[in-house]
Amino acid sequence: MKVLVPIKRVVDHNVKVRVKADNSGVDLANVKMAMNPFCEIAVEEAVRLKESGAVSEIVVVTIGAKAADEQLRTALALGADRAIRVETEEDAQPLAIAKALKAVYDKESPNLVILGKQAIDGDNNQTGQMFAALAGLPQGTFASEVKVEGDKVQVTREIDGGLQTVELSLPAVVTTDLRLNEPRYASLPNIMKAKKKPLDVLSADEVGVDFTPKVKVLKVEAPAEREAGIIVGSVDELVEKLKNEAKVI
Amino acid sequence: MNNTQVAAIFEPILGAERCLTDTASAEQYGTDWTKVWEPAPSVVLLPETLEEVQAIVRAANEHGVALVPSGGRTGLSAGAVAAKGEAVVAMDRMNKVLSYNPFDRAVKVQAGVITQQLQEFAEEKGLFYPVDFASAGSSQIGGNIGTNAGGIKVIRYGMTREWVSGLTVVTGKGDVLELNNGLMKNATGYDLRHLFIGSEGTLGIIVDATIQLARQPENLTALVLGVNTFDDIMKVLHAFQQKLDLTAFEFFSDKAMAHVLAHGVPEPFAERTPFYCLLEFEQTSEAVGETAMELFSHCLEEGWVLDGVMSQSLQQLDQLWQLRERISESIAPHTPYKNDISVTVSQVPEFVAAVDKVVQEAYPDFEIVWFGHIGDGNMHLNILKPESLPKEEFFERCNEVSKWVFEIVAKHKGSISAEHGVGMTKKPYLGYSRSEAEIAYLKAIKAAFDPNHIMNPGKLFDKE
Repeated sequence: MKVLVPIKRVVDHNVKVRVKADNSGVDLANVKMAMNPFCEIAVEEAVRLKESGAVSEIVVVTIGAKAADEQLRTALALGADRAIRVETEEDAQPLAIAKALKAVYDKESPNLVILGKQAIDGDNNQTGQMFAALAGLPQGTFASEVKVEGDKVQVTREIDGGLQTVELSLPAVVTTDLRLNEPRYASLPNIMKAKKKPLDVLSADEVGVDFTPKVKVLKVEAPAEREAGIIVGSVDELVEKLKNEAKVI
Repeated sequence: MNNTQVAAIFEPILGAERCLTDTASAEQYGTDWTKVWEPAPSVVLLPETLEEVQAIVRAANEHGVALVPSGGRTGLSAGAVAAKGEAVVAMDRMNKVLSYNPFDRAVKVQAGVITQQLQEFAEEKGLFYPVDFASAGSSQIGGNIGTNAGGIKVIRYGMTREWVSGLTVVTGKGDVLELNNGLMKNATGYDLRHLFIGSEGTLGIIVDATIQLARQPENLTALVLGVNTFDDIMKVLHAFQQKLDLTAFEFFSDKAMAHVLAHGVPEPFAERTPFYCLLEFEQTSEAVGETAMELFSHCLEEGWVLDGVMSQSLQQLDQLWQLRERISESIAPHTPYKNDISVTVSQVPEFVAAVDKVVQEAYPDFEIVWFGHIGDGNMHLNILKPESLPKEEFFERCNEVSKWVFEIVAKHKGSISAEHGVGMTKKPYLGYSRSEAEIAYLKAIKAAFDPNHIMNPGKLFDKE
C-alpha cells in the first residue's frame, strides 16, 4: 500500500510575525521557516502506518520553490521514501495546490492521501477537501485516529461536541487534527540517510496547473493592541470604574 | 530598636506608604528561593529615585541600620535574605528603561528592571540580551549584576559582567559613583565597576546600569546527542568547538533524563544512553548545517556518540531545551541537596568521577543527578533524598558531603560557587576557593566602600 503525504513550508510556528509597513502582508525576510505542524502530524501518521506494516511506501509532495526541499528532506529523515516538489515561485493558493495534487495523485496512484487539515500561514482549511472533490475520493477530515483495515480506513473525526467515526473505502483522503499523534524528532543518522533518498522536481507545465493567485489580498493588519490593565485601590473604585468607564454594570 | 523605630528613620525620606512593616511584606521581601532562613526584616523600603537610595544609605549609616539590597529574590545562596532585623531596600519601583542608543547598542536601565523585560526591549529593537536563565521572568538586572549571573549561554556570551558598560551606585558610605559611563575602552586605573559586579550587595547599592546588546542569533538549532561515557562528552565538546561557535553545550545524565521524561517531556530517541549533551549553534547557512552533520558522523564513527536528533523548527528547539531546563523542576519533589560548582573544562571528568566515588562509598543509597553547563566547566550536583530517610538526617549527611565535595573542588582549584554566589549558604566554605590572604584583601575593599559595615552584613564573609 502506498501513501501520499502533501506537506507545506510555512513560517515557523514560534516566530512572532510582523505586518509589513505597507500592509501588503507579513514580513518574511530572514524569518525562520519550518514544516507546517499539521503536516508533521500527517508525516508521522504515515510513518507509523509503515512501521505497523500496513503501508509499504510513503511519498511526500510539496508545491513551492527550491527552499521547500529543506522540508521535504526533513520528511525523508522522518521516514518517507521519496519526495516530489512541484516547482513554482508563486504563492500558491488552495485550489491550484489541490489541482497540482490531483495531477501527482494520477501519476502515483496511492491508496491513501494524508495531509494536514490546514496550514498555519493561510489558515484556509480547504486544500484537503478541494483535492478530494477533484479526485472524486471519500474524505475523513480532522482525524484524531486512523485505522487501516483491508481496503477500508476508519477515521475518528473531531467534530463540535464530540467524536464521529467514519469508514471510507480506499483510496481515500484523510486530513489530520492536532491530537492524532505526537511527531518524533528527526534523528541525525536518518537526516544523513535522507540526503540519498530520491527527490524529483516537476514543473508547473508538467502538472498542467497555473499557479497565478486568483484571490488578491487587499490589506493585512495586526490585531488591535490591548490597553494595559490597572490596579484599583478598592472595591468601591472597581465598581465605580466598571460603571462609569467600562460601562458594563 | 524595634521595627516601628527603624521604620521611623526612613519615613521622612519615603513616606509611610513606602516603608512597609506588615508581616506579609516582611515574608515576601525578606527571603529568596533558598527558604532556609526565616525572613525577619525590620522594614521593607521601596525607593523610587537615586536621591532616595542615597538618603536611605546615609540614614542607615547615621543610625547603624543594616541594609539588604533586594531584586527579584530568585537567588539560591541566601544573598538577599533579611533574617536579622535588617531593612530591605527593594528596587521593584525602579523598573524603568531610562534611555537607548542604537549607535552604542546600549540601553540604560534602572536596577529593578526584570531580566525578561530587558530581553523583550532588546528584541523590539532587533537586538538581543544574551544572559538568560530559568528565573529570567522574575530576576532583576540589579540582582543579576550583584551576583554576576551566568546561565545557559555563557559558553558563547560570557557572564553578566561582559555586558555591563556602566553603573551608577550608591556606596556603603553614601557616595554616588558613576562608573565607566558606557565606555568600551577606558584605561584609567582600577575599574570599580567590576568590583560591584558580583559583590552581592556588600559594597553598596546598584541604582542603574548601562547594558550592551548583541545582534539577534540567527536560526538557532539544537542537537541532542546520546553519549556513552563522561570522557566521550568531553571529546564531543572538543570536536564541535574546533569547527563551530556553539551558543550552548549542556549535559545531563540518564537519571536526570528519567525524571524529566516522567514529567511528560517527549523523549528525543527510543534508545536510552548513560549521558546526553545538548548543543546549540546558529545555522546561518547550509554549510554550517553540513559541518554539524560531518562532526556528528565523525563522533558516531569514533563511537563517542550513540544516537542524536536535530531540531527542525523553533518549536522543536524549545522542546529539546525542555529536556535540560525542566530537570530542576522534575527533581524538586525529591528534596534535592544542590551544589553549583566549577572547575576548568579539562578537569571535569576526573572531578565528577572523584565526587561520585566519595558519595557512593559513604552513602550507596543516595541518587546522584548531574547536569549543567559543561561547556564552561560548571556542573550542578544534585543528590536526591532517599524516601525512607528523614529530611533533617538527609541534610545533615549532605553537610558532610559538602565538605568532601569542596575538598575535591579545592584540590582541582575550582570554584565552590560557579554562578549562584556565596550569600550565607556558601559563606562557611569560601576558604576552599579563596586563600586567607585573598579574603583579607576582600575585607579591606569592603571596609573602603562600607566602613560602618551596614551593607548586607553576614553575606559573603563575616566581619571578623
